[in-house]
Amino acid sequence: MAPTLNLSAVGTPLRFSSSVDRSASFPQRNSVRAVAEEAVETRRPAASLYDVLRVERDASPTEIKSAYRSLAKLLHPDAAVRRSPETDGGGGYVDGDFIQLRNAYETLSDPSAKAIYDMTLAAPHGGRHRRFSTPLIRNHSSAFYTTRRWETDQCW
Amino acid sequence: MVEPAYTVTSDSETTGEEKSSTFPEIAIGIDIGTSQCSVAVWNGSQVELLKNTRNQKIMKSYVTFKDNIPSGGVSSQLSHEDEMLSGATIFNMKRLIGRVDTDPVVHACKNLPFLVQTLDIGVRPFIAALVNNMWRSTTPEEVLAIFLVELRAMAEAQLKRRIRNVVLTVPVSFSRFQLTRIERACAMAGLHVLRLMPEPTAVALLYGQQQQQTSHENMGSGTEKIALIFSMGAGYCDVAVTATAGGVSQIKALAGSTIGGEDLLQNMMHHLLPNSENLFKNHGVKEIKQMGLLRVATQDAIRQLSSQTIVQVDVDLGDGLKICKAVNREEFEEVNRKVFEKCESLIIQCLQDAKVEVEEVNDVIIVGGCSYIPRVKNLVTNVCKGKELYKGMNPLEAAVCGAAVEGAIASGVNDPFGNLDLLTIQATPLAIGIRADGNKFVPVIPRDTTMPARKELVFTTTHDNQTEALILVYEGEGEKAEENHLLGYFKIMGIPAAPKGVPEINVCMDIDAANVLRVLAGVVMPGSRQPAIPVMEVRMPTVDDGHGWCAEALNRTYGATLDLVTLQKKA
Repeated sequence: MAPTLNLSAVGTPLRFSSSVDRSASFPQRNSVRAVAEEAVETRRPAASLYDVLRVERDASPTEIKSAYRSLAKLLHPDAAVRRSPETDGGGGYVDGDFIQLRNAYETLSDPSAKAIYDMTLAAPHGGRHRRFSTPLIRNHSSAFYTTRRWETDQCW
Repeated sequence: MVEPAYTVTSDSETTGEEKSSTFPEIAIGIDIGTSQCSVAVWNGSQVELLKNTRNQKIMKSYVTFKDNIPSGGVSSQLSHEDEMLSGATIFNMKRLIGRVDTDPVVHACKNLPFLVQTLDIGVRPFIAALVNNMWRSTTPEEVLAIFLVELRAMAEAQLKRRIRNVVLTVPVSFSRFQLTRIERACAMAGLHVLRLMPEPTAVALLYGQQQQQTSHENMGSGTEKIALIFSMGAGYCDVAVTATAGGVSQIKALAGSTIGGEDLLQNMMHHLLPNSENLFKNHGVKEIKQMGLLRVATQDAIRQLSSQTIVQVDVDLGDGLKICKAVNREEFEEVNRKVFEKCESLIIQCLQDAKVEVEEVNDVIIVGGCSYIPRVKNLVTNVCKGKELYKGMNPLEAAVCGAAVEGAIASGVNDPFGNLDLLTIQATPLAIGIRADGNKFVPVIPRDTTMPARKELVFTTTHDNQTEALILVYEGEGEKAEENHLLGYFKIMGIPAAPKGVPEINVCMDIDAANVLRVLAGVVMPGSRQPAIPVMEVRMPTVDDGHGWCAEALNRTYGATLDLVTLQKKA
């Protein structure tokens, strides 16, 4: 499978984009989350948390942990600054890549969170409705984080 | 008028300097402890500690104002230890910086020879040094800046190049306000702070490098090692739990407190001379001398108790006041029982936060000046079920070596042998949130969240047709808002009029890799796709001084009229 993550470390300076244009591009986006995402210029997520971590669906916890560490060396701003010395290490865009990786890892390394996520992935979707599956999955993840923030945030 | 010992480097000069350089300028690591300091730099293959003109790698942290020209412990040397305690010398600046005058730590410093005055109203304390029989005022930031100027001069002389970028170690329990004070002092000294690293995190980075060199592995498939890092110096006690594999160190939990060797010393002084606070209240020349004599004698006794079980204290304070007493180790430990119990609870809390059992810990690392105290070693060993202590580090040099490694990494240095193929994934030491649900502290970014971090919560109004909301941002662990540090505030205006509970106010907090905190707030009406008003972005902290007083004034002025409550999630 071709890697879906953009490995470019060049960060865009943090700017407020036009909310009208963004809303038009993603009409299905939850409007509350859109506020923060517009503000911090979050990139569109990969199709699946497994793709973010670049592991197979049946990966073991050790493989997930190993993948997290390898990708952290690529995506963490402190590591990214080494490959692009001119980039502002504190750029929000660079932070976003690692934040996405970290969120994926927290879900997949918690057995109960992983089970819930796998169930949402397994839900059947006809081809005709495929374009709605991503927002639904993200909403489920979002709701999960909101209700179990303390526990999921501290897993490793 | 005394000529200032420091100047702020002009922006144009800095810009010109940076543009002309053809290779990365390696940042140096600085560890300014409450009582001692050191400087280190990556020299291409390993960390090197820099020495001053007297060949000292570890120097005392103080600035003396005698002879009208301030000089620090880097270049000057006091002829006697007593001179440190003459009132003309200011030390413990790391303990005083960024604190308000209601802080118990500030009050404890009133027993020191230099002058500390408090009005107990939530503003910064008044600090002065005795120069030519005159109290001359100063601030902890100024004292620290003078000290940093000397450190910088020493480093530039030894490395033979301009020094501008630094990585500094800071205590875990430092609030963001205190971090801004440290950065301000560095700016006054012409230094740019690349990173402020919690001390145990710097030690974790050094540990990660050592593990990397041991295993010779460069991919993420190495065996994971969990280390408990305990750091106790003169002013602070910090604990961290870290998981390390393949050069990646993940900080799982951090805990810190304002207890250290200084507390042990004060407790012992009080034990030897119970009435000392009243005796020394006037801060006259005679009292200052007596304070100094008592302090030196007590310090000597504590040091000897690390290698002996009993020590004799003989000191003549003058005026017929004499102390002649034998002190044994058990006595010292009993007098300081609360301090040691606090250290123990920090370790237990840190392990719990990290969700790590004691049996899972591979290495136990103790660093800091207090690591030589037998009771400290014992309590760490006891909590860790008798596990042997890690021996690969010098307790006084580990933090500054880690800071130097971080300086090299953050400066973009590439090492062909892979010694810098490291990454420390840091965690937030304190929770950050806002005041909501009455007077509660609602964390948006919980403690020990991996950095960089971005979290959000949704709130709503508390009054019908409420059109404004006051966002008070706090940092800390208390359940009530005022138990924590106020970082800043701003007001959201223009909320569409609606019954209470209808508008959705999204508060997002973003911490980037350089530990810069931004708070974003927007208002969305249910069913709408666009924010109702422009999103606000505020970089924190905004409160510059008197934050204790500021919080009280805000509460008095606004009360609950602009409050928010957490929005309950709908099914």
